[in-house]
Amino acid sequence: MVVLLSRLPATECIKFCHRVVDGLCGREPPRRSEHSTTWSPEEWLQLLDSLSAFYRRAVGSDSSEEEVLGGLADVGSSHAEAVLSVLRARREEIHHALLDRTNSISSATLQDFDWQLKLSLSSDKISSLHTPLLSLSLDVREDAALRSVTMEMNREELNTLISSLEAANKVVLQLK
Amino acid sequence: MEEVDKILIHALKQVGTEVSEETGSVRQFSSELIVEAVVRCVRVIDPGLGGALPTSLPPGMSARFRVGMSLAQACQDIGYKGEIGYQTFLYSNEPEIRSLLMFLVEKLPRESAEASDQPQGKSAVLQRAIAAAIRAQLSVPWLPPNCRLPLHSQTQSPGALHSFHVQPLSLAHCSPGKKPLKEVKDYHRDILPPVTAQPSHHASVVASILEQHTAELSAAQEWDSEWNSQGLLSRLKPQEYRSRKLTRLRKRIEEQLRSAALPSPESASGGPRPTGDLSELLQAFRGSAPSDHTLTKGSHFTHTQKFTFTKTEPSTSIPFVHQSDSDVQLRQQEEQLSLQEQQLCSEVDQLTADMKHMTVTHAQVLDELKQRELGNSEKEEKMQVKKKTIDLLPDSDDNLQKLKALVEASAKRVVHLASQWEKHRAPLIDEHRRLKEICSRQDLESSQKLSEIKSVHDKIRVSTEEAKKKEETYKQLVTELENLPQDASRSAYTQRILEIVSNIKKQKEEITKILSDTKDLQKEINSLTGKLDRTFAVTDELVFKDAKKDESVRKSYKYLAALHENCNQLIQTIEYTGTILREIRDLEEQIETENGSKTVANLERILSDYKAIRQENSALAAKVREG
Repeated sequence: MVVLLSRLPATECIKFCHRVVDGLCGREPPRRSEHSTTWSPEEWLQLLDSLSAFYRRAVGSDSSEEEVLGGLADVGSSHAEAVLSVLRARREEIHHALLDRTNSISSATLQDFDWQLKLSLSSDKISSLHTPLLSLSLDVREDAALRSVTMEMNREELNTLISSLEAANKVVLQLK
Repeated sequence: MEEVDKILIHALKQVGTEVSEETGSVRQFSSELIVEAVVRCVRVIDPGLGGALPTSLPPGMSARFRVGMSLAQACQDIGYKGEIGYQTFLYSNEPEIRSLLMFLVEKLPRESAEASDQPQGKSAVLQRAIAAAIRAQLSVPWLPPNCRLPLHSQTQSPGALHSFHVQPLSLAHCSPGKKPLKEVKDYHRDILPPVTAQPSHHASVVASILEQHTAELSAAQEWDSEWNSQGLLSRLKPQEYRSRKLTRLRKRIEEQLRSAALPSPESASGGPRPTGDLSELLQAFRGSAPSDHTLTKGSHFTHTQKFTFTKTEPSTSIPFVHQSDSDVQLRQQEEQLSLQEQQLCSEVDQLTADMKHMTVTHAQVLDELKQRELGNSEKEEKMQVKKKTIDLLPDSDDNLQKLKALVEASAKRVVHLASQWEKHRAPLIDEHRRLKEICSRQDLESSQKLSEIKSVHDKIRVSTEEAKKKEETYKQLVTELENLPQDASRSAYTQRILEIVSNIKKQKEEITKILSDTKDLQKEINSLTGKLDRTFAVTDELVFKDAKKDESVRKSYKYLAALHENCNQLIQTIEYTGTILREIRDLEEQIETENGSKTVANLERILSDYKAIRQENSALAAKVREG
């Protein structure tokens, strides 16, 4: 389905392929509204899927440039060259993105986290409390859906959390 | 005196007295100010005693007099030993007021000063900062959203706070070793947007950059610590160490995966073939993973799945044509088809099992074949040896002789070779020993150096920690210093005290010098008077002897006596004048002190006050008479 790419001029093609690779690496993918005249919605989806699958396969199986060119036999030579140059330029980045994806192989993975430290000075019963509280929010990716988990901990709870995380880290270090 | 006055005024200001900026010394204090200062000091020293006293003088003269009396009484109660009365406050005298104020200031409680001297903990500083910030925020009035300045938006509008969301960034790194590809350079130059434009939300730019940098930093630190702890001990180059670790990790993961994968049914149906490499195993996994995220690559399992589905597809397409027929037929067909499918599935299962079996037997047969071939070749060799001996059998004696000669020659050759080998061996062994020694020495050296490097690393870590700790304490102390009250600096006081002490020392030296001078003078005077007495006695005797004989000499004797007497008188008058001069000086000093205590002005004031009291009295008497 990469054939659809030949509807773009070669210079545009390089930019478009870079955008596709951006989407592959976790940044903004190309928008359909920018190319609505060139492709129909179905074609657009097919093209995106096949292009990103192509790049993944090329980097993941570490294939040589001849093999890649062989896979692009049905596209024009200038377009194939453009796709190949993008591959050459971004090989490292795609490699990293693939490694990241392999790392997050389990069903729920931690995507991001944020914390805020608050000092509660007093409560409705106690005039002088001076207790630090940590509110921790974890962005967990579960089956491609992002779920936010937020919790608030005082000092002892935070210590237990940290000690259990350290124990987990120790296990990981033992694996090395 | 100015320094003392400054300290006094500072202390009085702290107590709460409103001393204006212009008054720089006690001399400028008015009666009202003195009364206020004394009352405030008394209140701080003894709240029970000072509570009854007013801080300002009343207008009436007699009331003023009473206030002065009660103040003097309070001061005496606190423990003031000097002369004090109503006149001290109403008709002030500079030295008296100064001594009274000094006494009161010394009596002031010191607790507050001591508390500020004690080192404060970090938490106290933090809490004070928090309190100050909250106070500042509370002092700012609430404003409607449209009127807010950027100053208010930080505290009053909650929307300004962004949560910390990270997006991956692409940065152009220049690795020092290899040159980047032309395509990479082109990409970095032409297409890669600047970092600030890369994330989809502008708010996550800072978060993303911070995250990327901490990730890189922590990776570098981890590598550093690992290299220092384990890598150095392995005595490998970094690349070699890395590659070795990589292979070790691969092996481990492979073991883990294989042990986890074998019992699962998925891989059993896919055929548990012996995978020799991690990549092959991973390929197998890639095929069996059902998620749409991972790449689908061919494996036994997926192939079989595809196979079954493609086989059933044509048969399922048939019933769609006859949809207009009855449902019963359809159902029958469906059942038939499902039966067929089950059959096919079982067949496939059977076939795969057969295939497994076949492959196993095939491998076994191959092994057997190899073994047989090996046995064949051995037997062939044996047969050739036997053939040769059979050939040699007919001419046995001759051949035996030949054989013996051959054996002897070969034995000789062996001996010769052995001696030659010995010749060669000795230097080689020496060389070997020598090299071994060198090797062990180098080993020792390298291990020593390693331990040195380790200790240096430890030292570096310890000293960096110490430096950090010290920096923190320094910062804390700086903040404390900034928070301390700036006026009335301690160092100025101590400097002043030191100056005074040195001055006193100098004066003492001068006094001792003058004392020794006067002693010397007295000694000289004594010796001179003694000399004079003796010479006078001698001359007196001599002249007296001659005076009995000669008339002129008698006259000279008379003159001598007169001279002596006159001189004595002269000395006496000089002494008198000295004492009188001293008395004059004393009197002059007394006059000065009297002048300093503003006697005339005070007298005038006393007179006017006296008149005022008389007027008050007469007014009161008139009132009584009227009443």
